Amino acid sequence: MSHQNNNYIASRRQQNWSRNQNTTRFVSSIKLGPVAHTVLVALMITVLGLIYLTQATRATSYDYESQKIDSQIADLNDQKSDLQIENARLTALETVKNSSVAREMTTPVSTEYAQ
Amino acid sequence: MILGIGAIFVIRLFYLQVIRHDYYVGLATEEQQSRFVIPASRGQIYAKSGDTPVQLVMNEKVYTVFADPVTISDKAKIVETMRRIAGGNTRPEFDKLLDKTDTRYQIIATKLSRLQADKIKAEGLRGIGFQELSQRVYPENALAGQILGFVNTTGEGSYGIEGYLNTDLKGKDGLLQAVTDVSNVPLTIGNNNIRTPKQDGKNVVLTVDRNIQSKVEAALAAGIDRTGATKGSALVMDPHTGKILAMANLPTYSPGAYNKVENVADFNNNAISDPYEPGSSLKTYTLATGIDKGVVKTSDTYNNTDSIKIGDDYVVGNATKGQTGIISFQRALTWSLNTGFVTIAQRLGDGNSVTKGARDSMYEYFHDRLRLGQLTGVELANEAPGTVFSPEEVQGNAVRYATMSFGQGLDTTMLQVASGFNALVNGGTYYKPTIIDGYMTDDGFVQNPASAPLQTGVVSKSTSDQIVQATHDARASSFGYTDKPGYYIGGKTGTSQVGVAGGYSNTETIGSYLGYGGGNEAEYVIMIRLSGDNKELQGARDALPVFTDISNWMLDYLKVHPKG
Repeated sequence: MSHQNNNYIASRRQQNWSRNQNTTRFVSSIKLGPVAHTVLVALMITVLGLIYLTQATRATSYDYESQKIDSQIADLNDQKSDLQIENARLTALETVKNSSVAREMTTPVSTEYAQ
Repeated sequence: MILGIGAIFVIRLFYLQVIRHDYYVGLATEEQQSRFVIPASRGQIYAKSGDTPVQLVMNEKVYTVFADPVTISDKAKIVETMRRIAGGNTRPEFDKLLDKTDTRYQIIATKLSRLQADKIKAEGLRGIGFQELSQRVYPENALAGQILGFVNTTGEGSYGIEGYLNTDLKGKDGLLQAVTDVSNVPLTIGNNNIRTPKQDGKNVVLTVDRNIQSKVEAALAAGIDRTGATKGSALVMDPHTGKILAMANLPTYSPGAYNKVENVADFNNNAISDPYEPGSSLKTYTLATGIDKGVVKTSDTYNNTDSIKIGDDYVVGNATKGQTGIISFQRALTWSLNTGFVTIAQRLGDGNSVTKGARDSMYEYFHDRLRLGQLTGVELANEAPGTVFSPEEVQGNAVRYATMSFGQGLDTTMLQVASGFNALVNGGTYYKPTIIDGYMTDDGFVQNPASAPLQTGVVSKSTSDQIVQATHDARASSFGYTDKPGYYIGGKTGTSQVGVAGGYSNTETIGSYLGYGGGNEAEYVIMIRLSGDNKELQGARDALPVFTDISNWMLDYLKVHPKG
């Protein structure tokens, strides 16, 4: 029974090999020494560092843009606030009372009400 | 040997990087991170103009300009620029301050506007710096100064609404902790950044109507000029809600120039902070108590002999003599006869004396129902409670309660008296006096819910109607001609003696008037008080015309329909 199974497995493998005709086992003839390894690791670290710096710089540049926009918002809010104060001063009772329009106004002689 | 040196390095590095790790991380963090306080804006304060909120108190950014005398390079240009742009905001002889090279910080101008600061910044002056500050600004100047209070140099509110609502108005500063660059610009890199948003202070909308407030201040000032009084207070309330429509005192001050006030007493809002013996205006309270307890009607009579004996050796006399004989309590009110109201106090007891039962009844109405002698809870700083002695106290004896029947022997504030009077003329409902109408939010004005009565049935509707009628008749008999025809106006004069050591002053009285006005119902309650050192001021002669002036104006302003 066991023998039959082995045959069956070998047969399957042979079929697979035959189906993948280009499959080969490659062994490189280039051998990397310790210096090359060190250089490669250093290069990889450098690349990773550069990636980190790029990202950090990009984030920082957003910070500056954000800061600039915040500053613009603050300026505009200040301007708005100044205008509101000016508006409040111009519509203050004292200002209105002393206006030329107010000086021309008279007290009504009598008042009647619509029911 | 090499191994030994290597071991030393390893041990040293272990010490620095592991054992002292937290210490060096702390140093690095301190170097790289900055903490910024994000200042909360103090809430603005609004009044009403009709139904529209209008700003009374706002915030304005101002700038202080300082110089570093060591760093400045072109003194002449700095002096010329500052004189041209900062003008009157520069410190006296600021040019000499620029020569003080033994210091690095000299303030050369203060309270510059943003526009001025921007112009100076544009000049690019070396050695000149700016500090930004926020200050309160008052578009209406001194209007409602004592209601508002002010913000002191440490940023804390004092007096008025600024003092009472300081925490709400102040808000809560935010915090930003972040890694910064050399220019102190916060960066998002780093793991320990903290950003706590600021919470701006609440924007409060007062019940005060600036138009009424302005009119009241003007009428009060005119009254003071006319009478020679040196102090005056006026209060206008809506009797159906307890809302304060105007509250003024003179002398007053401008909150924007509070540091120039010479007499700190000017900061006080006397309408709530200065209890006094209200005098005859309180006869309305005694009459209401008698009517509500069923012991008198205004048409009931008593024998007026111009004096009445309390106990064995205390006699109360009338200020106005000659209305003697059998007269009605209405006449006693009209002529403000003390004897009539002592009689009511006696009738609350056994009819002959102000018994403990009579005193209990008066205390119940004066103190428990109409809330004299206790804080009203109005949202203003420095409210005083006043004093009403309980009959349980030794001082709450018959003589005191006899004098209380005509407004002496107790201390109350104007706000207490006017708030209780609201209940007497509005059908018998006591509303807590309030000066906050709501809040201004990003979505606009959010009005507080309608005031719930603090107590209903303080007096019956019938009693209230009789008080309205009695005070109208009292006014109409002598002063009705001063009112606009067709309206229903009522009130009661008060001329209070001023307490001095051992008794009352013979040379000084306080004149007051307490009344209401409207068409078919009371639309407003007004109380006036005038006083002055060694001035004998009277309710009818001095305070009443101020009431009349305001009342007639209010009828037009509120567009009140005549009684019909």
